[in-house]
Order: sequence, then C-alpha cells, then structure tokens
Amino acid sequence: MKFTFKAALLSTILAAGLAAPALAQDTLKLPNMSYRTGPFAALGTPHMNGQLDYMTMLNERDGGIGGVRIAFDECETGYNTEKGVECYEKTKSEGALLTQPWSTGITLQVLPRTNVDEIPMYAPGYGFSAMQDGKTFKWAFNPPTSYWDGASMIMNAISNGNLDSLKGKKVAFLHLDHPYGKEPLPLLQALAETHGFELLPVPVGLSEMQTQSAQWLQIRRERPDFVVMWGWGAMNAGAITEAVKTRYPMDQFVSVWWGAHEADLNLVGEAGKGFRALSWNFADSNSKLMQDVKKHAVDAGKSQLNQGAGEFDYTAYQRGILMSVILAEGVKVAQEHAGTPMITREQLRWGLENIKLDEARLEELGATGMMAPFSMSCSNHTGHASAWMVEWDGAKFNKVSDLVEADRSVIDPLVEKAAADYASANQPWQMNDDCAQ
Amino acid sequence: MFYRIAGQYKTSYHTDYALFPVKQDAWLLALILLFAFVVFPLTASDFMFRALLIPVLIYALAALGLNILTGYAGQLSLGTGAFMGVGAYACYKLITIFPDLNIIVAIALSGFFSAAAGVAFGLPSLRIKGFYLAIATLAAQFFLLWLFQKWAWLYNYNASGAIQVPNMQLFGVTVAGAQAPVLAQYFFVLIVVCVITMFAVNITRGRIGRTWKAVRDMDIAAELVGINLMKAKLSAFFVSSYIVGIAGALFVFMWRGAAEADLFDIQLSFRVLFIAIIGGLGSILGNYLGALLIVALPVLIGTVPAAFGLPISSAMVEHLNTMIIGALIIGFLIIEPHGLARFWALIREKLIIWPFPH
Repeated sequence: MKFTFKAALLSTILAAGLAAPALAQDTLKLPNMSYRTGPFAALGTPHMNGQLDYMTMLNERDGGIGGVRIAFDECETGYNTEKGVECYEKTKSEGALLTQPWSTGITLQVLPRTNVDEIPMYAPGYGFSAMQDGKTFKWAFNPPTSYWDGASMIMNAISNGNLDSLKGKKVAFLHLDHPYGKEPLPLLQALAETHGFELLPVPVGLSEMQTQSAQWLQIRRERPDFVVMWGWGAMNAGAITEAVKTRYPMDQFVSVWWGAHEADLNLVGEAGKGFRALSWNFADSNSKLMQDVKKHAVDAGKSQLNQGAGEFDYTAYQRGILMSVILAEGVKVAQEHAGTPMITREQLRWGLENIKLDEARLEELGATGMMAPFSMSCSNHTGHASAWMVEWDGAKFNKVSDLVEADRSVIDPLVEKAAADYASANQPWQMNDDCAQ
Repeated sequence: MFYRIAGQYKTSYHTDYALFPVKQDAWLLALILLFAFVVFPLTASDFMFRALLIPVLIYALAALGLNILTGYAGQLSLGTGAFMGVGAYACYKLITIFPDLNIIVAIALSGFFSAAAGVAFGLPSLRIKGFYLAIATLAAQFFLLWLFQKWAWLYNYNASGAIQVPNMQLFGVTVAGAQAPVLAQYFFVLIVVCVITMFAVNITRGRIGRTWKAVRDMDIAAELVGINLMKAKLSAFFVSSYIVGIAGALFVFMWRGAAEADLFDIQLSFRVLFIAIIGGLGSILGNYLGALLIVALPVLIGTVPAAFGLPISSAMVEHLNTMIIGALIIGFLIIEPHGLARFWALIREKLIIWPFPH
C-alpha cells in the first residue's frame, strides 16, 4: 500500500513535468509574468492587480473580448530573470498569444526569442526604447510611451519647453544600476551635449535601494539644480525619504512615471509637497472605466486588491488597468480584422500595430482624461502618447501641466541607430520588410 | 539482488581500483547516459529542456567546480558566482573581438580567465583558512561584480549594461543565440558537462586529487609528508575556477541568451554552494543530485497545481515552493548530513546486501 502511494506520487510528478497541460480552445490566453513576491513586489503588485482586474471585469461584464473569455494567467517571476525564461517557455508551450515580460532584464533575454518564435511581446511603458522601430522589432510593442520619450518629456517639462535655458545647470540622474535604470542615459547624454547642461549620473545598486545615504550625500555636495529619478520598487520610497531628510527642494525633484506612487509619498506626507512625476496616466476613480472595474471585479470579490490601503485610487493600480485596456483594444482590433474571435499570434500582432485610441474611443471606454490618445502603426510600435506632469500636494497627485510632448527629432535618430545595432548584433535577424511606412 | 556483487572477483590491484569495481554501477551509468543522450532528446519539450535539463546540467557543472575546491581541497569559497561571471564576460569579449572564433575554443579559453582570477583570489589561502578564507573570497565576489558593472568595456559600452549572445554556428548548426534550436544547445551542454565530469573524476582519483584530499584533511600533516601546500592549494583554485568559468560561459551562452552584472551576485554563489553541500562535499555524483533538488524540483512543483487544475495563484505556488524546498533541504540534511551522494551510497550498500539486514 505504502509503495503504491509513493509510486503514484512519483508518477504524477513526472507526468506533470512531462505532459504539457492540454490546450483549452475556448479562451484567449494572455498570460502575464507577475512579481507579487521578491524585492519589487511593493510596486509590482498594484500594477498586476490592475491588469488582472480589468480583464476580470471584461470577462464578467462582456463575457471576455468578442465573446471569448480571457485567460489572464499569471506566472510568478519575483523579478528573477531565471524564472523569466521558465515562464516564457511555459506560457509558450501552453499556447499563449503573447508574452508580457514585466522586467527590462527579462525583456532583454526574451526579445530575441520572440522574434524567432513569432510571439508578440507586450511591454507597456517599459522595456527597450528602440522597440518603437516596428520594422526592426516586428514582434515587440511598448505602448503608450517609451523611456526615451519619457526622459525627453521630463527635460522639456523642467525647462518649460526651452532646453537651452538649462545651459550651465546641473541635472543629477538618480537611477537604479540595472538595465532599466541605464536605459535613458544615452538620450540624456545627447541632450546634455547639445544644450550644454551638466549631467551627473548617480547610480543606486540593487543592494543600496533602501539606504541611499551615499547617493544623497553626493547630491547634497554637488547641489544639482534638478534631480531626475529613474527608480523602481523600494528605491523610490528610499529616495523620497532621503530627499526629505536632506531637505532637498522637492520642486526640483522629478521622477519617471513609476515614481507617481501614492504609497511612497504617503510615507512623507506633507513633507513631500512639490514632488513631481511624469505620468502617462492619471488616476480618476470616478470615471466610467474605474466604476465598471469596481462594480464587476472589486465589489464582486474577484480582485486581490488591498482595499483597506486605498489601493483602488492609486495611480499605479489604474496604470495597470490602462495597460490591459490597451492590450484588450489590440485584441479587439485583431478580432475585427481577422473576422474570428479566436485569433492567432500573427493576428494579434496585426491588432496591436493597428490600435487607434483616439479621444472618441477613450470616451467610449470611459477613460477620458486618464491617458492621452495615441495610435500605432507597423513602423511605430510605441504610439508615443504624451504625458502629464503630476505633483504631490501632500495627500494626492494633481495634474500641473498640459500634455507634454517628447522631442522626436532627438529620439528618432537614436532609435534608428540602436535598432540597427541590435539587428546587426543578432544576425540573422528577421525584419518586417512588408512595412512600407 | 539488484546489486549482487557475488562472483565479481578481483584478481589484480588494477581491477580492484577500476572506475567501476561493481558492474552494476557501470550499467546504471549507461542507463542514465542512454536517457540523457537518446530518451530525453526524443521525448522532451522545449520547456523541459530550457527550464529543467539545461539548467540542471549547468548548475551541476558549476557545483562540480566548487566541489573540487571546497569538497576535495577543503578551501571554502563564496565567490563562485563572480567566477562564473568572469567566464561569461571573457567568452563574450572573446567572441566579439574575434567573431570567427569557434565557440568551443572561446568557451575553453574563457575558463582560463576565470582560472587566473581564481588563483589570484586564492593567494590568501596560503595564509588564512576556513571562515577567514571564505571572507577573502567574498571580497572577490563583491569586487568582480562591481567590475562587471563599472567597466563598460566588458559589455562593449552597451547602453543597457547587459551582454547579449549573438547567433553562433558550430559545424553548420546554430548553437548559441536566439536562432539556436534547443536540441543543439542541450547536446552542446551535455557533451561539455560529460567531458569535464570525466576529467574531474580522473583528476580527483589520481595523484593531484590525493594531494588535495591530504591538504583538506590536515594541511600540516600533508606538508610534513612532503606535499607542496602552495602548489596543491593554487592548483585546486585553478582547476575549480576553470570549471566554474566554463559553467558561467555555458550559463549565459547556452541558456540565458543575455545577462546583466547582477545575475552573478552573491545569491548565485550561495545557490551553487548549497547544491554542492546538499549534494555532498567531496563527491562528483552529489553535484548532479543537488542540482536536481535545488534547480529542477521547484520547477516541477510549480507545474503541479496547473496539472491538477488546483485554483492556487502563481504567487502562492511560489511561496509554497520555497517552503517545500526548504523543508526538504532540512529533512535531507537531518537524515544524512553528508549530503545526497552519501545517502545514495547508503542505499547502494543496502541494495548490495539485500534482502539481509546486515
């Protein structure tokens, strides 16, 4: 008896490992690589909750997209690149329509494979900036805006649109010492050279995220006119508390969109007044979109949201919602074009390339004012949505600017070069030669 | 019954000291190799290769390298992750500087860079021992990681600071890069691992291996019988770091495809050290058993809920996984503190005398 039990256990473990789970034909498989564990869980979780809740809402309200339910399965990576490989292979074998790597490190690993395996990669608001070049990166998408767009928009915003006014000034670039944090450096260096401001990169190692005393000592000594932050996870909260402690003027402290996170600012409250972030989304809990999510996912008890902490109103949570809005739009466009609700990877790729989220469509979705309108094409896989500067008033973020534009004339040549470099380093690389635009 | 040694007579010292004094051991190994070379390639899926087989082989190789240093020569090292990094970065530089270089040559050469780094950081072992040496190798870990991050030449001034593996061919087959079929990568790794394992088995059984063991067991006694401690310790550092460096090159080129410096942090060193300790210090087989437990088992456990349709969230599976593996590690170490290799040795002894208890 004992032996048979052990044998049964062993054989099930073996069978589970060997047999790929049966493919269910009646769902759209849109898996996500989540990290609700590990050092970046604090910022990852609200985004993942948002992404998941919007898809849950679509399943509950509309029965999915085009009448087919969405299987938005999560594969936990803990931001660990090793798990990323595992999750990519697992979801691929299960027939996933796309991959959402959710980390610049995993993106770097997976990007060349997606081009060979012909799987769309959806990296909303993160990833590799050069992915905007859809001719080179046929299968990769990073709407609504890229890091280089973000860096350019931040510089435009802090100089009030006149970058030459920064001449002779000093801009500290406080960033995570990781592929993600280094991403905007080439653009900022190019801007610093043309406009004559001094760029001071201040890297924060993964092990120093919480205690940035050395970095802020350097900032205090150098007295930069602006600090631009490119942080993630625990680094943002660490930087904001250090800035308050060293009494760095908050109105000179600007972050990329991930810094617009209420939980980090709640730690300092009033003392953080004046802190700004560039955000491509703006939280509006009363919008029709959010009310639908509230009704069908949150109040129905189908969400993992931490309601007690007010996570529903977080910019990060609602950003997650919008990430899924864009993806669902791509799926819908693909279904309409293909004439069938059960789309293939190639059809989804077409759908993502042909997303048109204009004001009318945003209003239809109930998301007016939550993000800027944008559209994509086969040569433009980013969409280049504009973004707002949001400012912390001690209790919440407010829009303090009109939509800020990125400086395409600086970014596009850099993108072209980076994409060409990437393709030549990865020869033979499949380009999208059909794209005429 | 399964392991009956009756009738296998040894008539010379040569046969008594043969690699497989018991015939069944050779049969068992042949069976495992049959699985590795024939059965898995015919049956396994991409997921099996990329998430299970290739990582197990590479981690086992890294642990084998560490085991030579720690298990055979008795020098504790916490710098394995960084030495893997040296191998990986050296291989990357070699193939970008000499694009026509054969990948086997590049990987074989990259081992020498990590071996040189290993010897350099092994120099303190001539004066300090045990935990103090571990701290010295810890310095190697932090210093080398810092170097990988700050020395932009190492990653060809890439904006993201990461190294990316180009597509590389060997005898007309792409073996590295995104275009490489997984089967080619698997066979490449398998053959390299087999060759190095054979080398390691032989070197640890021979004269050099015995000097290492003598140094490990009591270095003063070893010195008194005429062993040159400096030569013994530094050769252990050299061979160990060479193997670890090759494992690092395979780690990036045959499996990951891209790597940033943080990949080679102290967590990786600990992971390899745990594989060596749980597998069994001073054993070759143990590295494979340890890698199966630490690398493969979590992946297998992760697939269980989905296979049975259990409604457990992926994050919860991850938490459960950590708990189960932790409990198993403690459990195995309580049952057999000398590691899984010793555990297998006990099972084997029992099988030899089975069905009699003594």
